[in-house]
This record gives sequence, structure tokens and C-alpha cells, in this order.
Amino acid sequence: MAQCVQSVQEFVQDSFVPMVAVLCSEEAERVTRKNNLNFAELLRPFCRLTSEGHIRDPSNQLQVVKNLRICVNNLVTSPTTTSTSLSPAQRQLLSDVVSSCQPQESAVTNVVMAGDYELNFSVTTPWFEAYRENFLQSMPASDHEFLNHYLACLLVVSSTEAVPVEQFLKLSQEQHRIQHSGEYTNPKWFIPNTLKYYVLLHDMCEGDEQRADVVYEDMKQKYGSQGCYLLKMNSRTFSANVDEQIPDPWSQYLHKNNLHNQFPHNPCTSNEMSSSLEGHPLQLDSSMANLHNLSAVHTDLKKGAKDSNSPACAAGSHGACLTLNDHDYIRQFIQEFTFRGLLPHIEKTIRQLNDQLVSRKGLSRSLFTATKKWFGGGKAPEKSISEPKSTCGLLYPPEAPELQIRKMADLCLLVQHYDLAYSCYHTAKKDFLSDQAMLYAAGALEMAAVSAFLQGGASRPYPAHYMDTAIQTYRDVCKNMVLAERCALLSAEILKSQGKYSEAATLLIKMTSEDSDLRSALLLEQAAHCFINMRNPMVRKFAFHMILSGHRFSKAGQRRHALRCYCQAMQVYKERGWSLAEDHINFTIGRQSFTLRQPEEAVTAFRQILINDSRQTAKQQGAFLREYLYVYKSVLGGNEVSLPQLPLPCIHSSATRVYFGHERRLAEGEKQAATHVSLDQEFDQDLSAMWCHLEEQLVASANGGVVPVNFQPTQCCLNSQTDNLRHPLAVVEEPIIVEVTFRNPLKVSLALSSLSLLWRFTVDGSSSSKEMTEETITNEETSAVGVGNMNKYALRNCDLFSPFRNHMDFLLFTDQQTLDLMVRGKQDLNILGPRLNLTKEDKMSVRHGPDRRLNPIITAPMPLMEVFFLQFPTALLCGEIRKAYVEFCNVSGVALCGLRVVSTHAAFFTFGSQATTPLSPTSAENCSPYKTVATPLQRASEATESLVSADDFRQPSGVIEIPIDGSILQPGQSTQLPLWLRGPDQEGVHEINFLFYYESAEKGLKISHRVLRHTVFICASRSLSIQASACRSSVPPHHCLDEKGSSGTLVFIDVENINTNEGGVREFHIVQVSSSSQHWRLHKYINPNKDKECKLGSRERAKLCFRATRCKPSEATSKAVEKYTFSDLSMGNEQIISSTTPCGDFFFRSSSRISSVSKSQGSVPTENRSSDLTDIAKECSELDLNIIVIWKAYVVEDNKQLILEGQLHVALQTIGKEATSLTAKEVPQEMVLLKFKSDLPPPVILPSAEFCQLIKTNLHYPETCTHPFVQESLCLVPVTLTLSNCSLAQVDVIIDLRHKSSSPESLEVHSSFAWVGQSQYKLQLKPKEVLCLTLQACFLQAGVYNLNTPRVFAKPSEQSIMCETSQQTATPALIVISNA
Amino acid sequence: MNTNMAVCIAVIAKENYPLYIRSVPTQNELKFHYTVHTSLDVVEEKISAVGKALGDQRELYLGLLYPTEDYKMFRKLHNSFTDVMCNPFHNPGDTIQSKAFDGIVSGMMVQTA
Repeated sequence: MAQCVQSVQEFVQDSFVPMVAVLCSEEAERVTRKNNLNFAELLRPFCRLTSEGHIRDPSNQLQVVKNLRICVNNLVTSPTTTSTSLSPAQRQLLSDVVSSCQPQESAVTNVVMAGDYELNFSVTTPWFEAYRENFLQSMPASDHEFLNHYLACLLVVSSTEAVPVEQFLKLSQEQHRIQHSGEYTNPKWFIPNTLKYYVLLHDMCEGDEQRADVVYEDMKQKYGSQGCYLLKMNSRTFSANVDEQIPDPWSQYLHKNNLHNQFPHNPCTSNEMSSSLEGHPLQLDSSMANLHNLSAVHTDLKKGAKDSNSPACAAGSHGACLTLNDHDYIRQFIQEFTFRGLLPHIEKTIRQLNDQLVSRKGLSRSLFTATKKWFGGGKAPEKSISEPKSTCGLLYPPEAPELQIRKMADLCLLVQHYDLAYSCYHTAKKDFLSDQAMLYAAGALEMAAVSAFLQGGASRPYPAHYMDTAIQTYRDVCKNMVLAERCALLSAEILKSQGKYSEAATLLIKMTSEDSDLRSALLLEQAAHCFINMRNPMVRKFAFHMILSGHRFSKAGQRRHALRCYCQAMQVYKERGWSLAEDHINFTIGRQSFTLRQPEEAVTAFRQILINDSRQTAKQQGAFLREYLYVYKSVLGGNEVSLPQLPLPCIHSSATRVYFGHERRLAEGEKQAATHVSLDQEFDQDLSAMWCHLEEQLVASANGGVVPVNFQPTQCCLNSQTDNLRHPLAVVEEPIIVEVTFRNPLKVSLALSSLSLLWRFTVDGSSSSKEMTEETITNEETSAVGVGNMNKYALRNCDLFSPFRNHMDFLLFTDQQTLDLMVRGKQDLNILGPRLNLTKEDKMSVRHGPDRRLNPIITAPMPLMEVFFLQFPTALLCGEIRKAYVEFCNVSGVALCGLRVVSTHAAFFTFGSQATTPLSPTSAENCSPYKTVATPLQRASEATESLVSADDFRQPSGVIEIPIDGSILQPGQSTQLPLWLRGPDQEGVHEINFLFYYESAEKGLKISHRVLRHTVFICASRSLSIQASACRSSVPPHHCLDEKGSSGTLVFIDVENINTNEGGVREFHIVQVSSSSQHWRLHKYINPNKDKECKLGSRERAKLCFRATRCKPSEATSKAVEKYTFSDLSMGNEQIISSTTPCGDFFFRSSSRISSVSKSQGSVPTENRSSDLTDIAKECSELDLNIIVIWKAYVVEDNKQLILEGQLHVALQTIGKEATSLTAKEVPQEMVLLKFKSDLPPPVILPSAEFCQLIKTNLHYPETCTHPFVQESLCLVPVTLTLSNCSLAQVDVIIDLRHKSSSPESLEVHSSFAWVGQSQYKLQLKPKEVLCLTLQACFLQAGVYNLNTPRVFAKPSEQSIMCETSQQTATPALIVISNA
Repeated sequence: MNTNMAVCIAVIAKENYPLYIRSVPTQNELKFHYTVHTSLDVVEEKISAVGKALGDQRELYLGLLYPTEDYKMFRKLHNSFTDVMCNPFHNPGDTIQSKAFDGIVSGMMVQTA
């Protein structure tokens, strides 16, 4: 139960006060009417007595009467009988009272913390108190009790009357007639002998004061000084002292009527009222036949209402003719009346009654013996049994003796003699019970409990069960809900004061019934308050009963109260997962708000239903949505300016993607546009890092090799994973595309149409930031967001016009539509940044970083380039060379320059090294990508040579500057360049990424550069596999004419056709073999069968043999510029100059060359430090020869023969080591078994194989020798041993000619021939020195001999410790000795 | 024949939100939700009473909230709930989405068909 303004004692006491009727003469009525009041109203503010009165009880004890209030009412007669329920008019009145009393906006709310609930609600319920007050006042007087029967009657006559005494007589007779004629049952009178008090009213402004005094003297004579009074008032003239402020004590008593007044349908006449009632939802029976039985109170109220309506007096100006002195007069009058008239009258009546009772036998016994049993004695109801008419049991006639004790009890109660009252009630109760007069018994029980409570102190505990019994009896036996309600209200209030909230709540809840929604609502609300006020607040019960109350309020037509109840309950249910309940409450709140013309609140409530993860069925959701849209639409009305927020569909704001720039054209005719970035691509972290790396390379190359500190990679498409901390830069007049992801959480589909993007543009720099919200967005088609699925829409924004820094906030306009309902609204697009997790505060709370995806800065115009590719293949053979064209278009209004490109596959393409005039692709069709010259046939086996500097081809760090004319591309200009492509060496699908870089010709812009991405997929299929090996040739150097040194090397190239596509590729022709090296060159093609081209069908293999020689020292030693010697050996009739584009370009780009470069560079310093042994050895065997094999493939495609050309590179690094074209062919390393035992220590260092190559040996001798063994037994043959130092260091050589004696079999052979002469030599060879030794071999008989027995040991001269290493033994050198 | 006949079974988190709630006459779901929610006050009252009386709180069955309860039913439900909580993939505090639990609950419900 809510807190009340009054204390409980006050409330209970004020519920039962002496009733005084007023009868006015017409003249007196007129006098009081001047104050806009009738006489009863005039007295009302002064009805509480401030001073103490005294009364003597029957035992002559003095009883103090404190703080007494009397109730003065105009006497109104009505013929009807009492009823057990309120009349419709009374109900209407109560309903109006409740609805007019609403909580103020600023009303004090208190916060109740219960568990983890925090509830905010008003603790006071003034509407309930107003209802209670009015209810108690409008209680119909009942026969079973006397409390609201009139004790006295004031007869008021004005002094202006011609004969006031006569008027008094008339009024007195009138009163007597009303009381005793039996005509009227309704104003009930306490005792037959009602106190009449004669009041002479004197208007100070009108009448003659002396005359009044005279009349008063007369009255005193006639009625005694205690039975009459002269009341002087209206001292103030109307117009005088208007501005004087007089307190208006009436307002608080009458303001409810005024409020009542403000209702537009204020009933002024009964007809009007009935019509207004008909429309009231509470009223079931609109028949207003018994309008006359308005209670006294109601009539008063109505009169007040009527009066305040009158135009003469403004509402609220009560007592306009009264001065403060007049107020005092009235107060004195009341006091005089009470103390001199009323109290003595009551005292006298009590005495009389007491005497009667005492005189009655057995009564004294019941009065003074409390030991009598409740139902004991079996006392039969012998006396005056009138027919028990009703269910309440017995009904007593008004003057029945049983009622006298009750009458006395009531009187005692009224004058606050609670002790006596209690004993009287108690006695009466027993009598009534024994008579089975249930209504009377209930009344006695109720009042016994009340008087016991009011008695206070510890004298008697409050008998709560009396109340319960009384309520039960009233309700169930007597079916008198009004009395039951009064009893419950009293009991609940008393229980509340004793802290028995639970009992109070139970009581209140029991009192709810179907017959009155308003009462049920109010009582349920009070019950809810009881629950929350308990020591352990029952929050959920509070909420539940609030909902029940709200339901009843709404049934009673009290929409505001209903809304308030639901809102309070909502605090408990909110956001706790009780979604069904939440939806229900929200729905009700929405409906009530809407009918109360609070559509904003309604929209908010409905919104909640839709936003929550609904557990409702699809049908229910549909209904909710429809209701929402309807309300929304009505809120919107014609107001199109500020669109409200739409709750649906849900925007997945973090998934928003923002794309800066135009959408790419994919192709234009046969031109294929650069792929760049599009919204179709998903974000890939690795890819993004790759692009960033490429861009870094480009920027570094553009800035002289250094990446600027403020470098930030260009981001074209922003999403949740990109770095959104910076404001993105957008270029003026370029579109911004925003992709928004929607989700429909409902089970019904939503149709969206006319989506557009709202934006705001703020100009930075101008003092006042100009904001314009403009709709310049293209619309999407109408599209339905299906049930529960995600849809993405790209919204295209138009160009922006101002090149200033500005911020944009995007909003979304959507129209929602469901069947026939269509609304228009917006949704904010706010992107929350990533959650911060750095500081402790960040970790403790949920904080988000900024996300500036949607706040771009618009910058000055930038160039915009488009790149197109022509004749760009999708499939290539490995190593195939193809010529394509690339076109650069400047589509902006700004010149661009600094065009660069970088790729993930640098070896894939080249623009050519020389400035070549771009041929139109059509004219060059079917042309070989190579540049050829016809070769004279006679020189077919000889190489043509050319010397090229590597710098002509080399590009630093893989970035290629694109050679365009004038290096500036003017606006609108486009240029076409040839582009050579070479199929990757690895078969399979290759993703090749290009990043084009360009910058504005103007410098110092906010955006330093722009980039364009392109990704191609190339499918490479196998072509040829080339294996090359080299070995020292055994041909003596001097056999070669142009050979100066000792270095003749044979190069063997194994070519295999590994293409498996037999249908497509017919055959491969080896067209040309070229070499490129700093030190070596291919010299000659050793072709066993001349004039035959090398053709390879599928899976065929061929071996080609070449001789390589060292380059001329002058060429080789010019180290300042790294120069490469290219030598071409053409096998056909055309020679391809390998040192030019594209062959040379690809050679320098190929990965095989790069690796050899790194090798050769690594060996450069060791040349100076020749002390390092291994290096010398390496140096010696190092070849560093790159071989380029150029082939033609005959391919049949669509019944057309095509000739494809290509080149493969092999890097021969060392002699004796095989190299293949598939350089990067890395076999995944086989799994090595885990070994727990350590390996055996490696064997003693064997002279490594490298040292076997220090010295090259050749034997020169006649192949056959005929010798007459018959004449001469010994045959001497001269043999020349040529030693050539292959290394660049001095070498000590030991030559041992003695046969090895180790093997017996060799002994056998060798015994037949012997070296004669010096058999061991020790020599020193200078670098690259060639030395000849002449030896003598001695043969004993004819036969075939192997002369290759000399063992050559060598070691570098400086290396003293190491033993000499046996040099590689050459192939057998056979000599035939024949007998002549 | 099933002796356990419940119309509505709910598992409520200690923060007062439903982990699981199901009722059989589905048309009256809202009413049951309200009833369950309101009865939490009674539960709270009982818990505080138990807390005062007993040091050992191993007995989780609060007794009769209303005279038509069945202890066996509680045991069954509680065991099943324990199983759900033991699921390593279940995040305590989330609503219960378990087929096994559903099955147990269905078995306790009034057969409407």
C-alpha cells in the first residue's frame, strides 16, 4: 500500500465524524452565494476544531475531545432506498475523481533497490486517496449503523429576511417533515430528537446590523443562547481591495470539482450527463432513470461545479466577500456550535441511551461481564422477530432495542470515547451474532476493530480477525460490496501501519472482483505497493500485480493509470529475457500511449517489440509489425522533415563497406580492364598485406628508395578489418559507394523500397560549418528482405562537389512496407570501432575505438587512370613468350605522371628495354614476339656474339617505370604500350598481381599518389624440360684457333618434351640456343648430323652438344660495368638476337639468372683473397654460364595451326653439375627419421672433389704406330702431356709416371709397356699456364695400350700443409701398336 | 502412463532471467511466464529462509511452493540440468538449448494430444 498524506489515526478518525445537515432559507442562500459558495461549503474549511472540547461519559468521567472534525452537508432529500452497491452516477464520480488525479510530472519518485532491481516509481498514490475519500463520503447511509446519520441540523436564515423568526419556524417544520413524515428514507437521522441549531446570517454590507442584533436577542430568548448564533459575514464589498490577497481555504476542498469542471463533457444538466455517460466504457447500464438518488455529497459537488461554471464568477474565486475577520467569525461559529450545541447534545443522548440500556435487564450484565461466551447460552432471538428479509439474516426495525447499544457505541466513537465504544460494539456484536443478524454483526465487528485500533496504546491488541470476519460477512453473506470495500480499506490501512504488508496485500487482492474494475485496479495497485514495501521487497509480485492493476485500469477506462502501471511493471521485466511478458507489456504500453495521443511513446514501445529477439509466432509478429507501422504512420503524419528512426531491418553496421571510386568497367570491347578492387571481393588479410607490400615498393621507388614515414597504404574499400582510425580520403567528383548489410530478425518478410543514403557535408575552413542535408542518392529497386536472412545493398552516392575537408555522416532512408502499410523513416549508420583492450580501464569496461569509415575527407581532384589489356592470354606454356598490349587512360581532368608498376611475378612480363614505337596490335598479328634477322647458312654452327650491359635491363627492386611518351599523361589522353609476357616456369595456375602507381603532375596534394590493382590468373602448362651439364673437353687447346686459354668446355643440353597435351601441341622445334655469361660463351654447335633441325614430338628427347669457350679477357675483365656476352647459335635460318627485347629482358628477369648473379657476386671478394682454398677450387670449376633455349611450338587449336614461341633458361654454375630449367622445382623434403644415435663421425677429410679439377691434362700421341718388333724389340713412342692450370692461383704439380703396383691385374697389363726417361716431375704452374711435357713410352709387343696412366697430383702453391690431390683422370687414351 | 504432469517447466538463472521455459498449452504461454516470474518472489523467500536455518545448503529442493509439486520430478529435472551444465560447450548463463533436456521436460509435461 502506498504512503498516504494522512496518518492512519487521522484517516480512520476522519472516516467517522458527526454529520450535520444544513437547511438554508433562500435569502440566506443568496447571501452565501455572493462568495460563490453555499453554506455547507462555506463552513467546510473550518470544520476541524483546533481547540479541545470536553464531554462527560455516563459514569461522569471527563473525556477530552481532540482534533474533532464535523461534516456539514446540505440537506438533500431523495426518495429511494439504500442499495448495496454504488449507483452509476457515484461510480462515474469516483471514476472522474481518479482520472482527474494524475501523478505530476515532477512528482517525487523514489528509487527502490531490491536485489539487482532498481525501481523508480512514485511512493504516493494521490488518486487512491482521492478515491478513498470520495468513496467514504459517498457511502450510502445504512440502517445497520448510525455513523453517517445526521446528528444535528443547522437552520440558516438571513437577517435581511422580513421576519427571520418566521423563517426559522418554517425551516424547523421542514426539517421535522423530512425526518418524520416517512416520505424520505435517504437523509437518515441519528435519533428522532435531532438537534436544531438556529443561525442568523448577517450580511455586513447589506442589512442593518442593529436589526440583526435585535433579532438575535429575540432568538436567544426563544431558543436559548446555546441553540442559536448570529454569524456576521461578507464584510468586504465586491470591488474594494481587489488586489488584497486573502487566502482561499476552499480551494483544496473544492478543487476536485473544478478539475471535474474542466472535463469537456462536464455534466451541467442531467441530460447532458446521461449522454456523456453513455459513451463511457465503464458504464454498462446507461439508463439514468434514478438520477435523483444522488448522494448529498455528490449534489454538493455538482452545485459547486455548476456555480463555478457561471460566468459571473471566475472559477477559484471563493469567498470573495469575506475578510480574514469573517474567516475568524466562521471559525468561532463552528466552535461555538460544536462545544455549546453539538457536544452537549451528544453527551445528553449518550446518557439517555445508557440509562435506557442500564434499565434493561441483562444488558448491564452483558456490559460489565466480559466472560460471557460468544455463542453460549443458546439465547433464542425471541424479541421482535421481524421477517428476515434478506440473506444478511435478521433485520431490526429502526427503534429496536438491539440497535440502541449500537447507536450508543457509534456516538461514543464519534466523540472519541473509544474505550466505551469498543465495549459497546463488543456487546452489540455478541447480541447480533446470537440473533444471526449478520449485517449488524459485521458492522459491529468492523467498528469494534476500529475503536480497538483508535484506542491505541497497549490496552488492547488490534483484532485483525474481526475485520476479516466483517469483510467476509459483508461480501459473502450480505453481498454488500460497498461495505466490504470500506472495511477492507480501513483494515488494509491499519495493517499497513502495523507493518503487516503481506496481510494487507492478501486482503486487498481478495477484494478484487468482477463487479468493479476501478476498485479492483486501485486495490491491486495498492497490493503491489504492499509487496514492494515489505521488509524483503517482492519485486516480481509487485510487477505482476501492477500489470493486473494496469489491466483493470484499462478495463475501467483509466488509460493514463493503466499506462503508468504497465510502465512501472516494465522496469522489472525489462531486459531479463522474459520476452513474451516484455512483448505483452510493450504492446499494451504502445496501445495505451497511442490512444492517449502520445504516439512517440507508442512508437518507442512497439519498436522494442520488434527489436527484441522475438519468440512470438510469425502471425503475432505480423500483427505487431502492422500495429507499429500504423502507429508510426500516424506519428509521422505530414511531417517529412525530420524522419524518425526505424527499428527494422537491423543494420549490421560493422559489416558496412565503403568503396571509394567508380565501379570498374570489366571490359570494353576486346579490352580487358584492370580488375582493381571491387565490392565483390571479400577482404583477405594476406592479400591486403601483399598489396601493401607492393605499394611500399612503389612508393620507395618513387621517393628515391626510401619509404616516407607518413606512408599509409591506399585503401579503396573499407570494411571492418581495415584500419579505420584515419579519416579516409575521397576525391572530389568521385563516387563513394556504401554497402550496408541488413538483417530481418522477424519471421515475416519486410519489403524495402526507395532506399537512399543521407549525408551531411561540413566545410572545414570557413568559420561557420555549413551543413546541408541533401538527398542526392540513387534509389535501389524495391526489394524484399526475406525472413531471417541477410541482404546486402550497395548504395551509390553521387559526386561531391566541394574540394574542402569535410565530414560526412551517413544515414539511411528507408521505406518500409507491409502489404498496404508503408512508412518512411531513417536509420542511423553508426559504426562502432573495435573494442579497445590496451589499458586497464579498457579491459574493465566496454570501450570502442573510433571508426571513421564513414567520415571521409574530400580532397582536391586527383588523376584517375584506367588500365586496359589487349590480347592478354589466360593460358601459356611454361616459358612461352607472348606479346600483349596495355593501354593507360587518364580519365580525370588532371595530368598524371610517375607511372610505375610492380608485380608479384617480376619475371612474368616486360615492357621492353628500348623505346620501341608501339605497334598497333592488329598490324603485328601473327608476328613473332621475337625480333629476328636472317642468318647466312654457312655460319649456322658458329655463334654470333653481342656484348650487353646488364644495367640496360636491370630495374631496381622489381619496380618498373613504365616508359610512356613524355612521362606525363594528359587529361583524357591514353597511350598503348606493348607488353611481353612469359609463361611461368612452373606449371599450374598462377595468380599474378600488378600494382600500377601514378601521381598527380601537381605536387603537394593531400593524396600523394594513387594505385590501381590488377590480378590475372595464368594457367601454365608444361612445355620442355632442359637439363644441361658441362664437362672439360679433352681437346688440346691449340687445336682451337681462337682459343687462347686452356678452357674448352663441352656443354650438353638434354631437351625433353614433357608436354602431355598431345592433341594440342604437335611438336617443339629448338630454334636457337643462346648463352649469356660474364665469362663464358657458347662457341660452337657440335651437330652429329648436320642440317637437321631438332624436332621433338610428345615425350621425345634430344641431346645437343656445344662447345663453350671463355670470353676474351678484355671483355671479361672490364669489371666496372657488369657486361654480359650473349652468343646466339641459331639452328634454323633465322637468328633471334637474344640480347634485345624481349629475350634479354626475360633472361635478366628470370629467377635462374638472379640466383647466379647472387652467386657470382658472392665470389667476387674471394678472388682477391685467393688464399681461401675452397674458393680457388670453386673458381676453377665455376662456369656461370646461362643457356637460353628458344623454341617454337606447333599448336593446333580450333583446326588452326599456331606457332608459339618461348624460351627457357638454364644456369650452369659448375662443371660436372647438372642444371635443369625447372629451377624452383623443389621436391618437398622427405621426412627424416628421427635418430637417437648420433651419426658416426665423418671419415677423415678426403680431398674434396673440387680439387680434382685444378689441372686439366691431355695426352697427345699418334693413334697408331707400326713397329717391326722382329728387328727391334723395343718400340719408343713420344707422348706429349699437356698440363693446363684451370685456376687463378699458382699450383704445384707432381706427375708420377710409375705404374701403380697395387693391383695384380694392372701389373699384368702394364708389364707390357713402360714410361722411360724421367718418371717423376715436380712443376709449378702459374695461373692459367699451359705446359707441355714430352714423355717416352716404351712398348714390348704389339697390342692396344692405355696410355693414360700418369698420375697428376696438384695443390695450390701457398697451401703447404695440404697434400697434393690426385687430379681427375681423363678417359682412356688408347694407342694401337702393330707389328710391322 | 506418465504420472508427472506439469504444464510449465522453467529453469531460471539467479539473475532472474529464464534459461529455459516451456509450457504445454502454448496458447497460454504468456500467463505461465507471468506466473513463473511472479513465483520467483516465493522462491527467494524460501531461499532466504533456508539460508538462515541450515548451514549445509546441499539440499536444493526448496519444498512445496504449491501443493502440487513432486520431488521426483525435481530430481529428474535437476539431474538433467546438471548434465546440461556439465557440457563443456555450454556457456553458463546462456539459455538452455539441449535436446536431451527438452526430452526430459517433454516427458514431464501434460500430454495434450
